[in-house]
Amino acid sequence: MRVEYINPFVEAAFNVLREVLSEEVKRGELFLKSTSQPVLGVAVIVGLTGDVEGRVLFDMKKSVALTIASQMNGEELQTMDDLAKATISELANMITGQAVTKLHELGFKFDLTPPAIITGDNMEVSNSGVEALIVPVELQAGKIEINVAVRERA
Amino acid sequence: MSTISDELKQEEAEKVENIDYKMVTFSLAGKDYGIDIMKVKEISKAKRFTYVPNADPYVRGVYNLRGDIISIIDLRIMFNLPAPKREEASFEDMIILRLDDYLIGVIVDSIDKVVGINSESIQPPHPIFGDINIKFIKGVVENEGRLYLILDVEKILGDTRHEEETNAQPQLVKQPVREPEAEQDHAEKTGETDYAFVVETLQTFRDFHVTEYNRNWVRNRFEEWRQQRTKEGAEVQLQEAEDADRFLQPFYSPYSGGFWGTDYCSAVKEILKQLQVQGNVMVWNPGCGAGYETYSLAVILRESFPNSQLKVWAHDNDLLNISTAPNLIFSPAEVADEFEDYTVEGKNGLQFNKEIRDAIFFEFHNVLHSNPFPEVDLIVARDILSFQKQDEQDRLVQEFAEKLKPGGVLILGSREEIVSDMFDDISNGMVRAYKKR
Repeated sequence: MRVEYINPFVEAAFNVLREVLSEEVKRGELFLKSTSQPVLGVAVIVGLTGDVEGRVLFDMKKSVALTIASQMNGEELQTMDDLAKATISELANMITGQAVTKLHELGFKFDLTPPAIITGDNMEVSNSGVEALIVPVELQAGKIEINVAVRERA
Repeated sequence: MSTISDELKQEEAEKVENIDYKMVTFSLAGKDYGIDIMKVKEISKAKRFTYVPNADPYVRGVYNLRGDIISIIDLRIMFNLPAPKREEASFEDMIILRLDDYLIGVIVDSIDKVVGINSESIQPPHPIFGDINIKFIKGVVENEGRLYLILDVEKILGDTRHEEETNAQPQLVKQPVREPEAEQDHAEKTGETDYAFVVETLQTFRDFHVTEYNRNWVRNRFEEWRQQRTKEGAEVQLQEAEDADRFLQPFYSPYSGGFWGTDYCSAVKEILKQLQVQGNVMVWNPGCGAGYETYSLAVILRESFPNSQLKVWAHDNDLLNISTAPNLIFSPAEVADEFEDYTVEGKNGLQFNKEIRDAIFFEFHNVLHSNPFPEVDLIVARDILSFQKQDEQDRLVQEFAEKLKPGGVLILGSREEIVSDMFDDISNGMVRAYKKR
């Protein structure tokens, strides 16, 4: 993963989360992963194309997703209903969108696909042939892992 | 000596990836014991301990270890094992342990070697074990046909005092300590043990793994190191990370971590004459660090192949280091004159020009993961093999061979070498290089 790509994603995640949750967010240690890893329960995928090919995956526990969705909507949500799912998808869209805007300013051309949300237990994600950069973000409600796997278009 | 070095080689060859527990082994009354290497500060020989009156019988006294006063315990007496009667002036084998926050020395019959095992193969001790009270034994493990009792030094020598041993009566056995020729044998063996220890500690302190790719250098360096340290009156063994750094200092290739000087640049250019390229020049530079090496390389390539499109994939898995690389800023004094044509004055200092910067892809990447880019003409991997585990080193060399086009060139660290039928050695004085067949 090109070094230039890393910061836009990290910064965008922090700006957006800080803004929508109005709380301080803490960053965990960034690391690389190439093997498959379990998905915590709710995963939003945003595809990337352009100079690169790949995807960004936002991964969190259901309880964390519900807390965030409740906070963003200003009402208490009990189940992962359509509203909650739409809210989490929108969050992913905002973060990826802001990152792509920053990348454009640096001269990289990225496009993104509409987000897809996947929920369920006992899932895992594998990246064949690409390694993923994991950006762990600590919130009061729990942890979100942002998993960015992109490679240069050959 | 030969059997032991053979044994060492064999042991290294047999190392499998799940070795996760290392112990220093030694013998007490003919039986084999082990202590977790993380608890061992060093091994040493000593004599003439200062007697402490009214101490427990197994306390041999105190000893001045380079300014630290440490207590010396005789494990044989502590465990009621026969202790050979010693001559007053003879050296005894001693293991210095680091417990919580103090050091303690234990006397044993003889120190054997370092053994690596898989911690899952450790079996719990059986309750009817005789010699030593069961609670002092962490487990039993088998290695190359020998059974080792792993001692739990924390329980034995930790802060809680054990009254039961205080009544133990030492059994002195009347027998000569060692035959004279055994003594000499032992001296050589100690050299081997020191070497094995250095190998271990390099790995512990700096993640430096001694394998076929660097063993020749480590052997020579060890001899040099031993002479130098003996002359200085210092310990041969590496006791802390700084010692490991000092030991490894001559290992690093010329201009490691900085821009290459004129001499090294021309040596690399000489090597590059062996390279046939058409159109694009594709280069892989794993372990690029903060990018000094990559920029130097890019400039040399631009001069060597002025008509080709240049593309360098530069990888490092240290995020902090590599994150400054794409916009590296430096002062004119840092670079050789040849680089001048390729730099531009920026706001904060000198930078490389767009042409050079656009040719390099700096990526945060672990080379042990899959490397998704096309075949390359040149690989520059200086001093990175040695800092991977043994099996990963083999895999990387394999990966280098696969990623290189036929006739492609591999540049390694100056102290590293590979012997393989896939490569021809084309090294010159300063640069270690291989050409793929």
